[in-house]
Amino acid sequence: MRFVLLLLCSIAVALGVGFGLSYYALTDGRLFGAAQIGPWTAWPDAGAPDPNPYTRSHLTREAALQLGRSEGLQFVAAADSDGAPLDLACSYRLDGRMPVSTFWTLVAVDAGWVNLAAPGTEAALRSSHVVRANDGAIRVHVGRRLSPYNWLELAGEGPFSLVVTLYDTTALSGFGSGNDTLPSITREDCA
Amino acid sequence: MIRIVLWLLGGVLLGGVIHIVTILTLPLLAEETAWTRVAALEADNRMLILPPVLPGEPNPLRLDPELAYGLCRVDLRDGPAYLSGVLPDAFWSLAIFNPAGIVTYSTTNRDGIGQTLEVGIFNAAQTRLLAQQQLDIAEGLLVVESRSDDLFVLVRLAPPHAAMRARFEAELSEVECGPRR
Repeated sequence: MRFVLLLLCSIAVALGVGFGLSYYALTDGRLFGAAQIGPWTAWPDAGAPDPNPYTRSHLTREAALQLGRSEGLQFVAAADSDGAPLDLACSYRLDGRMPVSTFWTLVAVDAGWVNLAAPGTEAALRSSHVVRANDGAIRVHVGRRLSPYNWLELAGEGPFSLVVTLYDTTALSGFGSGNDTLPSITREDCA
Repeated sequence: MIRIVLWLLGGVLLGGVIHIVTILTLPLLAEETAWTRVAALEADNRMLILPPVLPGEPNPLRLDPELAYGLCRVDLRDGPAYLSGVLPDAFWSLAIFNPAGIVTYSTTNRDGIGQTLEVGIFNAAQTRLLAQQQLDIAEGLLVVESRSDDLFVLVRLAPPHAAMRARFEAELSEVECGPRR
């Protein structure tokens, strides 16, 4: 009886560890193939011709048309800089700088990657359409509430993710110091 | 007590094995991949413009709404594939995907190609033949060797403004793709 109990216990641990770790590795992925800058996560190996096994599985799960290594890099944030999940009931402020790139775009998507821009507005915010401070820093407001300067107007409710796609970028390439920086995400008012 | 710890340790080790097997076999077992998602598109040997991404509509391929996408599927068993055309003066990039949905080659127009898109995709045997016959390769033709015969090419084109999108897409759709006839 004791043997069977131990065996079952050990199998439960094995299944929990095996599948739990796999799920974690392919969703969060921080300790495995993903790189993190503040709240932003990217899979730097995603565009490589021979990605590591974790990135390969991650790509399979997404089944998307990812960017090649020389084309650019995509960063996703599902939480703000304090670690709280992004929610459409709240407004957010992005402050900081983007890595060197030809241009970048910012979009908000839900879990199924459906674009959440408000009807009648631009589906994405593009770097060439952004007003900057004198020192080149950007400030972008994201949310449903009317905001000044750069505003990515959203519609809907529930959790969402922000996606920054850098085209032709030097981010995470080890080129230059202080280049691997992305804006912080600060939560403002919640409705 | 030690026996219980050993059993649990055995469980953790077995869990590690399950983890490694899961990660390694997942790409092989997946039924829906990027390749199957584009398989339904009529993009054999022609440049198909993907529909624009609209707010509130599904976007399984996770495309960027700011960009225009042209997709072309080729089979190198029919001979080397060529892409040829002139694109508008804006950022564009090119990626070659294999059936596993992995980008085996990518480049952008900043790599000294400018507006002209001239790419020849060869498999290993065709590349060897090309080298043996010492053929003159036209200046500006980018020769890419592919490990697989089935592949698709994705061209991303970034219109600077939404008003230019229709014209940019029209020019992108005129890019020739497929074996040289």
